[in-house]
Amino acid sequence: MRKGSKWSSIVVFALLLSVLLAACGSSSSSSTSSGSSSGATKTVTNLMGTAPDYLDPGLGYTTQAAEPDWISYTGLVTYAHAKGAPGTKLIPGVAESLPQISADGKTYTFTLRKGLVYSNGKPVKASDFAYTIQRSMKLNWGGKSFFTGNIVGAEAFDGGKAKSISGIESDDTSGKITIHLVAPYGAFANVLAFPSAGLVPTGTAVSNLSNKPPPGVGPYMITNVVPNQSFSAVKNPYWAKEEIPGIPAGHVNINAKIVTNTQAEAEQVLTNSADVFDWADTLPSSILQQVQSQASERYAKEPTVSTFYFFLNTKNKPFSSQKVREAVAYALDRRALSRLDSGFLAPACFFLPVGMIGHPTGSCPFGDPSGAPNLTKAKKLITESGMAGTSVTVWGETREPRREYVDYFASVLNSIGLKANEKIIADATYFSTIGNLKLNPQAGFADWNQDFPNPSDFYLLLDAKSIQSTNNQNFGQVNDPHIQSELAELNKVPSTKLESVASRWQALDEYVAKKAYTAVYGYEDDPKFMSNRINFGSAIFHPVYGNDWTSWQLK
Amino acid sequence: MASEAAIGTDRDGAEASGFPAGPDLVHPGIGPYRLAWRRLLRNRVALFFGGLFILIVVLCLLAPVYANDIAHTGPNVNHITDVVKVNGKSEEVVSSTGLPIGPTWQGRFLLGADKNGRDVAVRLLYGGRNSLEVGAIATLITMVLAVIVGLLAGYFRGFTDGVLSRLMDIIWAYPALLLGVALGVMLAVSGINLGLFELRGGSLLIPALIVGVVYIPYVAKPIRGQVLGLREREFIDAARVQGLGNLRIMLGEILPNLASTIIVFVPLMLANSILLEASLSFLGAGVQAPNSSWGTMISDGTRYIPAAIHLVLVPGLMLVAAVLGVNVFGDGVRDALDPRARIRIER
Repeated sequence: MRKGSKWSSIVVFALLLSVLLAACGSSSSSSTSSGSSSGATKTVTNLMGTAPDYLDPGLGYTTQAAEPDWISYTGLVTYAHAKGAPGTKLIPGVAESLPQISADGKTYTFTLRKGLVYSNGKPVKASDFAYTIQRSMKLNWGGKSFFTGNIVGAEAFDGGKAKSISGIESDDTSGKITIHLVAPYGAFANVLAFPSAGLVPTGTAVSNLSNKPPPGVGPYMITNVVPNQSFSAVKNPYWAKEEIPGIPAGHVNINAKIVTNTQAEAEQVLTNSADVFDWADTLPSSILQQVQSQASERYAKEPTVSTFYFFLNTKNKPFSSQKVREAVAYALDRRALSRLDSGFLAPACFFLPVGMIGHPTGSCPFGDPSGAPNLTKAKKLITESGMAGTSVTVWGETREPRREYVDYFASVLNSIGLKANEKIIADATYFSTIGNLKLNPQAGFADWNQDFPNPSDFYLLLDAKSIQSTNNQNFGQVNDPHIQSELAELNKVPSTKLESVASRWQALDEYVAKKAYTAVYGYEDDPKFMSNRINFGSAIFHPVYGNDWTSWQLK
Repeated sequence: MASEAAIGTDRDGAEASGFPAGPDLVHPGIGPYRLAWRRLLRNRVALFFGGLFILIVVLCLLAPVYANDIAHTGPNVNHITDVVKVNGKSEEVVSSTGLPIGPTWQGRFLLGADKNGRDVAVRLLYGGRNSLEVGAIATLITMVLAVIVGLLAGYFRGFTDGVLSRLMDIIWAYPALLLGVALGVMLAVSGINLGLFELRGGSLLIPALIVGVVYIPYVAKPIRGQVLGLREREFIDAARVQGLGNLRIMLGEILPNLASTIIVFVPLMLANSILLEASLSFLGAGVQAPNSSWGTMISDGTRYIPAAIHLVLVPGLMLVAAVLGVNVFGDGVRDALDPRARIRIER
């Protein structure tokens, strides 16, 4: 999963202008709405730098969408509401227990909890699960390949060759749900924890309902949507009856407001006129020192399970040469890249990040990532490769600091003897553009935030099976037989048994680092920054979904 | 919209050059351009601003000298983790929290650094070169194409005029900035490939071409109007009677009479082109990274206004000075060439 892209430059400019005009024209509305204590439930103002791509759970696929959808649409399984490693633990959601998995790893069986109702009061049925999955596939959800690639009959349904997914069976009387997979996939239970697999009633319109999200099962429900401006997450009146263990009821209602100017966003939280800063945004360096000195008790850096890297096209010159790729690994000054991210990037070299099972503990093959780069060695390797002077186009997006990363990377490539130029395109179209195989991009920015706590999720990006004509995620077109044979085995291992294969994942990740298939430069920390009205200590920063809105309490 | 002023009414030398005659304006033995030059020399304000513009141009042309011999860095070289001595104290070019160093008032990082640790002064001069280069090429494109279109439409009238004028109307119908952004965003990635003619996405000629094309109607329309008036004049009839062809009449008789209009338009279009280029670059549709222009520098600097206002202020001031310089000088040239002229660019 990637952090949601910002608007194109033009729209950002227009919004900036409108924000400025609004600021000049009237007193701040955020200060009045923030902390309103009218009624029984108090309200928190949560700022989001980027609007969710969709609030409809059948379509949402960015971190901004996952935050409200996670607490409003519970699936058969979900994650524990806890920070750190405990938060990556799967717990039963609308199912009574975690799935029973057949010995061959191809059949998952659940039983629905009894007496569940949606946020509109209607009862939940077992058949709603199949409808939910089919609906998100019909809506073309960004992660639908998790379904089509794994569930029996899902591909036929997606291609219009079947009216329903044959691999999902349900019995409304007993509440039993059975899912048949085409092959064992260890992370499938994690797939079912996506908010997009959170149940919606059968008959929910198969259209984008982001402006009026459908009913769901969860402590909150999403209302008052003003597209690209604001929405509310209010407490679900029916939740008290549900009593699903491990899912808290929440303490406050939440007004989410979209503020695209991160400077303004940070200032509002610093001055307590809004309550929560978007963790997916970078705290501007111009205000960071102020935050650290004036609000240290309500600000923290939270590590996230994410990898930032430059992809290198292994099919074409110059990065088809391992020596050139190694030269890049030697030449990158990861300390510099960390500064471009206001110090929020921890220098690193391995593809699997800290916090993910399989993250190598050994040293990096091309020097200490926190040390100075070895430009002499890099230049020598370029000379030896015979690729000196080869033209390279480096792709990037406009969003800060990603454009700055690419500026730096192009400068490094030029300094070691390649001839780099840049192509910076709008955030909204960046990944779909470089994911077009016809474009055959040579190098560029890429990042990945975990969809679920399983190394398979990261290795999707280096799996040869991911190479496709459009929406390609394996940007470097890495196709290594050793990786493929290892993934064939490791992907079968259920999430609950990942520890047993941790050393194999480590070995695979060390192999990838030695081959320098990607130029990994760091793992990002994100800011947990709140107003002084919120109980900062009890607010949970969740390892998968960021800020856990159910944990927010006013002092 | 430009008024279609007829310049020149007499059959003497002043008329042929397109200058109005009058007892206080015609000096026996002095040519019209010499007369204009004298008038310009008397306009101190115009000369001051013209000098300011020339100074900026010279400074920008000297960018490589400054970069190599004083700042010892290139415009796109990153120095994020470097340390520089300022007044005997070591300072990081970019702090660990990402804040760039401010002006050091010495050779290296004279005007500070940007977030990538690039020397702002060096980028300012190279950016100025890019801005001026784009402005100059765009002006050249505008003037050449506008004169051709204006001449053809005004001289031939009828069908030719109809087609060309409607084409100009179509271009004019779009706001210049929006048209520029649309073209810029499209061409910045794909470039232009017309077989023999190819421009890569990052080429400076792309914003120059966009700005140049967008402004053609602003010049072509008044020129067409002037040609419509000139073609009915007696000296054109005389040329036809002498058997001169259309091309010779256009180039030999009409074009010289457009000279003063063209001269007046050049500085105005230069200023407008520099401004439009800056606007396009500010919006990401002009000069492409990592190359700088004043517009891209202002755009990049807006993110750091509270902590590093110099990143916006310095290129902004240069842009204002350059545009003001060329505009005021252009007004002076217009006044000198034709103090009574009613030619104005109106939007």
